[in-house]
Amino acid sequence: MNTVLTKEQLEQILDQALQNVTEQTAGVRLNQGDQPLGEDLCTVHITFDRGFSTSLTLCADTSLLTRMACNSFHEDEVDSEDLEDFTKEYFNVLCGKIAGSMFQATQVAAHFGPPVFYHGRYEPEGQEVQFVLTYSDDRREGAQLIHHVPRSHADGAVSDQA
Amino acid sequence: MVVDDSRLVRAQLEDVLAGTDYQIAAYCRSGEDAIKQYAEVAPDLVTMDIIMQGMDGLDAAEIILKEHPDARIVMVSSLAYGDTFERAKSIGTRGFVDKPFHQEQLLRVFGQALS
Repeated sequence: MNTVLTKEQLEQILDQALQNVTEQTAGVRLNQGDQPLGEDLCTVHITFDRGFSTSLTLCADTSLLTRMACNSFHEDEVDSEDLEDFTKEYFNVLCGKIAGSMFQATQVAAHFGPPVFYHGRYEPEGQEVQFVLTYSDDRREGAQLIHHVPRSHADGAVSDQA
Repeated sequence: MVVDDSRLVRAQLEDVLAGTDYQIAAYCRSGEDAIKQYAEVAPDLVTMDIIMQGMDGLDAAEIILKEHPDARIVMVSSLAYGDTFERAKSIGTRGFVDKPFHQEQLLRVFGQALS
C-alpha cells in the first residue's frame, strides 16, 4: 500500500481541489501565478490531527474572500461574521476534498479539526512551510495555499503518521 | 432539522429546499444542541455536519440513534470516504450527501432516507 505522497503529488491534489471547490462554492476561477498578496489579509488554518501530521493554511486578500462570500450567500454585501463563516466553511469543504483525494492515493484516512479563522497572517507554531501555491483571479486578487509540515519533514515526502 | 455550525450551509439548504415539500423545523449549530433538541422537535429527517466545534456529527448521530433508533439522519459533509463513511453507515445513518451539495443529489438522498 502506498502511504507516502511525494511533494509533487500533494501539490497536484491541493491545486485540483482548490480550483474545483472555489469554482463550485464561490463561482470564482483561481489560477496559479505569482501575484503578491495585498495588505488586508485573512487566514484560515486546519490541522490534520490523524493520518497525516501536517496542516494547511489559506491566506488571501480580504477583498477576494469577501467577493467569494457574497457569491455564496447571494448577497451584495457581507458582514465580518458572514466573511468568517464563509471562509471557514469553504476551507472545511476544501480540506475534505483534499483528504478524500489523499485517501484515494494512499488508503490512509486523514482527519482534521475545525478550521480557525484569523484577520491578517497566521503562522502555525512548531511547523514550517513545505510549499506554497499562489493564486490570483481575473481582478488580480490573490490567495496562497500553504502546506506546513513538522520541522523534521520539511524537505521530504509526506507520509502517514497513523 | 439541520445540524451545521455554518450559517452559509443554512442559507444554502434554505435555497435548495425552497419550493419543495421539505420545511426546516429547527437549526442546531452543534452536536450537543441537536441531542438536546431532537426529542422536542421530533423531525422527520436530520441533516448532520461532521466537523463542528465540540462534539462532532458522527458522535452526535450515534447518541441520537441510541436514544431514538427510528431517527432518520443524513450526514452532509465533504468527508464522504474511508472510515468516516463506513462509521456513518455502521451507526445507522440513512445516507451521505457530499459537500458542496446540489439540489438533485440532496433530494434523492432525502427520499431514500425517508422511504
